[in-house]
Amino acid sequence: MDASEVEFLAEKEMVKIIPNFSLDKVFLIGGDLGPFNPGLPIDVPVWLALNLKQRQKCRIIPPEWMDVEKLEEMRDLERKEDMFTPVPSPYYMELTKLLLNHASDNIPKADEIRTLVKDIWDTRIAKLRLSADSFISQQEAYAKLDNLTLMEINTIRAFLLDTLNCMYKLRSNLQ
Amino acid sequence: MFIADIRKDFYEVVANQRVVLLVAPDIDALCACKILQALFHCDQIQYTLVPVTGWQDLGTAFLEHKEQIKLLIKQDDDLSVPSYDDIFRDEDEEGEDSGNESDEGSEPSGKRRRFDEGAVERRIERQRAKREWEARRREILFDYEQYEYHGTSAAMMFFELAWVLTKDTKDMLWWAIIGLTDQWVHDKITNMKYVTDIATMQRHVSRHNHRNEDEENSLSIDCMRISFEYDLRLTLYQHWSLYESIYNSCYTSCSFKLWTLNGQKKLQEFLADMGLPLKQVRQKFNSMDMSIKENLRDVIEESSNKYGMKDIRIQTFGVHFGFKNRFLASDMVHATAALLESAEKDDSETDNFIKALDALSRSNIDRLHSGIALAKKKLIAIQQTVASCICTNLILSQGPFLYCYLMEGTPDVKLFSKPMALTLLCKYLLKAFVHSTRNKRCKLLPLVMAAPKDVEKGTVIVVGIPPESETSDKKNFFGRAFEKAAESTSSRTLHDHFDTSIIELKTEDRSKFLDALITLLS
Repeated sequence: MDASEVEFLAEKEMVKIIPNFSLDKVFLIGGDLGPFNPGLPIDVPVWLALNLKQRQKCRIIPPEWMDVEKLEEMRDLERKEDMFTPVPSPYYMELTKLLLNHASDNIPKADEIRTLVKDIWDTRIAKLRLSADSFISQQEAYAKLDNLTLMEINTIRAFLLDTLNCMYKLRSNLQ
Repeated sequence: MFIADIRKDFYEVVANQRVVLLVAPDIDALCACKILQALFHCDQIQYTLVPVTGWQDLGTAFLEHKEQIKLLIKQDDDLSVPSYDDIFRDEDEEGEDSGNESDEGSEPSGKRRRFDEGAVERRIERQRAKREWEARRREILFDYEQYEYHGTSAAMMFFELAWVLTKDTKDMLWWAIIGLTDQWVHDKITNMKYVTDIATMQRHVSRHNHRNEDEENSLSIDCMRISFEYDLRLTLYQHWSLYESIYNSCYTSCSFKLWTLNGQKKLQEFLADMGLPLKQVRQKFNSMDMSIKENLRDVIEESSNKYGMKDIRIQTFGVHFGFKNRFLASDMVHATAALLESAEKDDSETDNFIKALDALSRSNIDRLHSGIALAKKKLIAIQQTVASCICTNLILSQGPFLYCYLMEGTPDVKLFSKPMALTLLCKYLLKAFVHSTRNKRCKLLPLVMAAPKDVEKGTVIVVGIPPESETSDKKNFFGRAFEKAAESTSSRTLHDHFDTSIIELKTEDRSKFLDALITLLS
């Protein structure tokens, strides 16, 4: 799986917007999108929110977890724990990137949020690397990791699987 | 087509149709084009973009898209237009006139005499009015076609359209500012108009700045911030060293007369007077000491007043986004103009147009920096050419105007085969000449300049600019003059540019064309 595919999947998440146009209910294959009224907040998928934002037809409201204090707490919790802590959203990295690239004027303190999310990501990836390293060196057969997001799994998947294949071949050649 | 209400008559008409945008090769048109493109993207209107360099191009593009064209939108500088009624009298008045005459024929004979007199008087009255109207019409048309000058910037007009549609963004505001600054940099509008337009833009800028800023929720550093600056008139000084900028800017170079040794000494005195060490001043501006940069503008203004440069500061706007990127509007104008007219061998005109258009968006900073590098080369070339022309007395007074011809071997002459670069050189040269000559009469003469355009085809490009004066209204009469001179000598000329004071001429016809021009204007 490619990182862009994960981002594509992330765009299905819902986010709140305030449109400035009016439109009747739209019936799409993926679901209905309710009537749009100017000034009234409504939940839409991220792909639609970004499209409307780029056409200057709406204002994006940052999700609840995208707040400096909450992210600071999460980062500190992540640094303390050895295991992975629950994430703010299963697609937190992609959503941060998308929303901050296209709608940073609607999100207060965007720079700090970017730094905090990057800190959380770095801590989690470091833990993942350590865990994979101990898995291989102790030749475990089974590992259980809670609270990993698809993007993090995707970063390590190809490398880990190839490594395990190589090691298997080396081991079977030895015997 | 003349439009009264831009939103109703223009935008709503094109909103559901496919549009062809024909864009003239100048920075104001480019900015207007960007604004219009952004608006079209918002409303998903399909459009085709066609750059046109002159009336012939316009014609061919029109013919190509003929089947689909219903409304022609050309972006160009506006030329002031007299009111509709003065020129075209409504046709039904004519019909009425002839109708009355036939009525008179069928009147009963008894009343004929009385009617006849009344009718005759009325007819004479009408004819006199008609003659007066014709005379006035001829006068207005003559005035209209004789002088050429520029009206409001097209980019600003499209920004007002966007504002009326409430789709204006900071990007569009910045493009409108660049369009306005282009008119000022290339000396197309008067100072008064520039200041008035700046005030209008300033209102928009403050409106945008107050929209999102708050003490607690400050904007991301990547957001674009436009600010009003009362900044120095030194071209590109923030992207160059201070010394180079002073040396190559038109205003300072002409005031100090930097083509003479005396002038260069004065420049050194000026720098010493401000307390700026030479080593600092020759470094890149960004690497200068912070202590010097802090009060630079005030220090320079004080010192320039002593040296007779009263207007070293000018009202303008600057933008900054990200940590590194700070640009003044005039920087962008110079960079984009250099890209648009780059004289590289491999680039076609459409490529240059696309490159220049790209440089205007925020995501192509590299393109902009390459444009700035080209602009620096262009300015240095202009400075050197001016210095050599003045020192070797290449400017000759031909009676009613001054004339200068750039020989083929002149360095960088390829740069000056493009209209905007040549016009800039022309204005710079005229200013320098006015400062260097002692002949009072010559100071009030306009300048005609010729430079080789295409060596294989053997053509030269000729530009005429009005005389240099403090209160000029920037009206240029050379368009008509060139046409008449070409007609009278049957020289082979091409009046293709949208700016009628720029023409192409065959090298062999140069001398007879000049003679005709002299007799015409004296």
